[in-house]
Amino acid sequence: MSEERDRRTAMATQVASSSMQETLTPSDGVIIKTDNLWKTYDMGEAIQVHALSGVSFEIERGEYVAIMGPSGSGKSTLMNLIGCLDTATRGTYWLNARLVSELSDDELAYIRNKEIGFVFQTFNLLSRASALHNVELPLIYSGMPAKERLERAEEALRKVDLADRMHHKPNELSGGQRQRVAIARALVNNPSIILADEPTGNLDSGTGEEIMALFERLHQAGNTIVLVTHEHDIAAHAHRIIHVRDGRIERDERVE
Amino acid sequence: MASLSQTASLLLRLAARRRTGAGAWVTAREAFWIALEALRAHKLRSILTLLGVVIATTTLIAVMSIINGMNLYIADHIANLGANVFIVHQWKWAQGYEAWLKARRRNKPVRIEEFEFLRESLKGYKSIGASAGLHNSDTQARYQGHTLYDVGVSGVTPNMIDIGQQKVESGRYITEADYQHESMVCFVGRDLVDDFFPSVDPLNKEILVNGIPFRVIGVAQKIGSTFGESQDNFAQIPLTTFRKFYSPRPSLAVSVQAWNARQMLVLEDEVRALLRARRHIPYREDDTFGINASETIMDTWNMLMGTIFTVTIGIVAVFMVVGGIVIMNIMLASVTERTHEIGIRKSLGARRRDILMQFVIESSVMAGIGGGIGVLLAFLVSRIVDYFFTSTVPLSAVLVGLFLSTAVGLFFGIYPASKAAKLDPIEALRTEN
Repeated sequence: MSEERDRRTAMATQVASSSMQETLTPSDGVIIKTDNLWKTYDMGEAIQVHALSGVSFEIERGEYVAIMGPSGSGKSTLMNLIGCLDTATRGTYWLNARLVSELSDDELAYIRNKEIGFVFQTFNLLSRASALHNVELPLIYSGMPAKERLERAEEALRKVDLADRMHHKPNELSGGQRQRVAIARALVNNPSIILADEPTGNLDSGTGEEIMALFERLHQAGNTIVLVTHEHDIAAHAHRIIHVRDGRIERDERVE
Repeated sequence: MASLSQTASLLLRLAARRRTGAGAWVTAREAFWIALEALRAHKLRSILTLLGVVIATTTLIAVMSIINGMNLYIADHIANLGANVFIVHQWKWAQGYEAWLKARRRNKPVRIEEFEFLRESLKGYKSIGASAGLHNSDTQARYQGHTLYDVGVSGVTPNMIDIGQQKVESGRYITEADYQHESMVCFVGRDLVDDFFPSVDPLNKEILVNGIPFRVIGVAQKIGSTFGESQDNFAQIPLTTFRKFYSPRPSLAVSVQAWNARQMLVLEDEVRALLRARRHIPYREDDTFGINASETIMDTWNMLMGTIFTVTIGIVAVFMVVGGIVIMNIMLASVTERTHEIGIRKSLGARRRDILMQFVIESSVMAGIGGGIGVLLAFLVSRIVDYFFTSTVPLSAVLVGLFLSTAVGLFFGIYPASKAAKLDPIEALRTEN
């Protein structure tokens, strides 16, 4: 147990110290900063495919940003990088003033746990677990004791108006409710950003609007939201749209 | 400055976790939850998977129980010759079948002259007695139309009551006077009393032992039954009477009692030397008789059981390996089946070691439960065996069984678990199930 603690402490110190080295690069209030991000896939025979070729942008704390682009534009790759599911071939990425490019697998897992709340198109809930247990998962992996965990998970479910459904399994919930469970799960560990990948893709337009309204509410409450989509209508809910095409940022516009 | 405060806040968060001391325990508990959930969700598959481990554990514990039961029996009934007593007989007891066959061919019975010779020549013993049994004949005892078969009829010297482990319940044992006068008296076991005299005093009643009338002078304390055979079905008569009516030159078991354990070893050596000299056994040749003492009986017995045990260990090891491979196979299938789930968990911050632990714990819990089922089955088997034969489940066997099965699950779970832990989160999330 103490070894486990030492490892976690060591990892945290390492992550913290990496932030110390590069502190001054992103300015205050900037939560995401990428600088010349490249993602290159080797397809063999010296053929290289550039999914991203030099992407640089900043997102400030409390912003509501949509990353938009057609399929194949590289927006999914970008989302994976922002979500710390993958690392860039070249370039740097700061998240919450920490340099997270070039971290190891386990360190990335730690960042994902603490800093990022995912909302997926297909909800990605554990089908055999109750809504409450699904929401508890990020807290489990941050090692929070059961009592505190339960309180936090219930609190998060209350925020998405699902307090009365917390003991239902995902297959007993409607699509909209499932996505709200997923949003509660994304919120529960107080992440720096909420990263939503086509959150309304599997919902009818009415339910989709409800979910978008929920995102707006979370935005109003001060959360930073990054929305990845290919739909204009959905992107229009955001207050800033970053258009991606062929692995580059095509346009970065503010919507009011 | 912002970064400093963030570092500080991070350290604060860590400090909070250190205080609660959770960490690994929290994720381990989650892993247990998942393991039990997976078992519950796939009951039939789990049971089939665990069959190998269950059989291995049952076999191990059942065999250990039977050996343990026989050990207890031997220690209690065969090796327990009495305090500082050893017995000179035609052959060694509790030896291997081959050795026994050889001894049967080659050894000569201990005769009455040899008993008398030892009684005169040996020095310093506490007492020396002899007994002879009726062999290879269907013995029976009768009383007023009741007949008991397979009665152990033996002729004894009067001091056998002090040397052996028998106790007088009522009446008296055979006396020196009975011995000298070749009296027609007998000292009987509980079974004869229960059968012939359920409500009357058995003393001074006359019973027929193989057609010859004997007066009952005493009853022995109940011994009980072992190996499913009653130990109280016997009648003892004076050795002199026995020789007169049943067998003039019986094969004797001569019991020598020493004053203490050290003297016993000296006496054993002396008896061996005396008998070898009397029988003219050439130097370098084996004894043509056997000296049986508690320790030597236990030693030979344990050696025999050791062989059986080694064979069992081999069989159990094969079962366990087969069971382990089946578990590994199912765990590999389970990892493939749950790739998407692994992706979800990784996206939420599960590290490699969290996933590794999840699957290792799952296979250990599964195998451990298999071991538990095996233990229960072994208890059942032991009860059944004990009914016919003898078997006592030792605690050590239960612990070994549970530990071994869990260890097998752990070992064979490592490979599938490491496969799961190494999955790429993006690939895993993309996998549909």
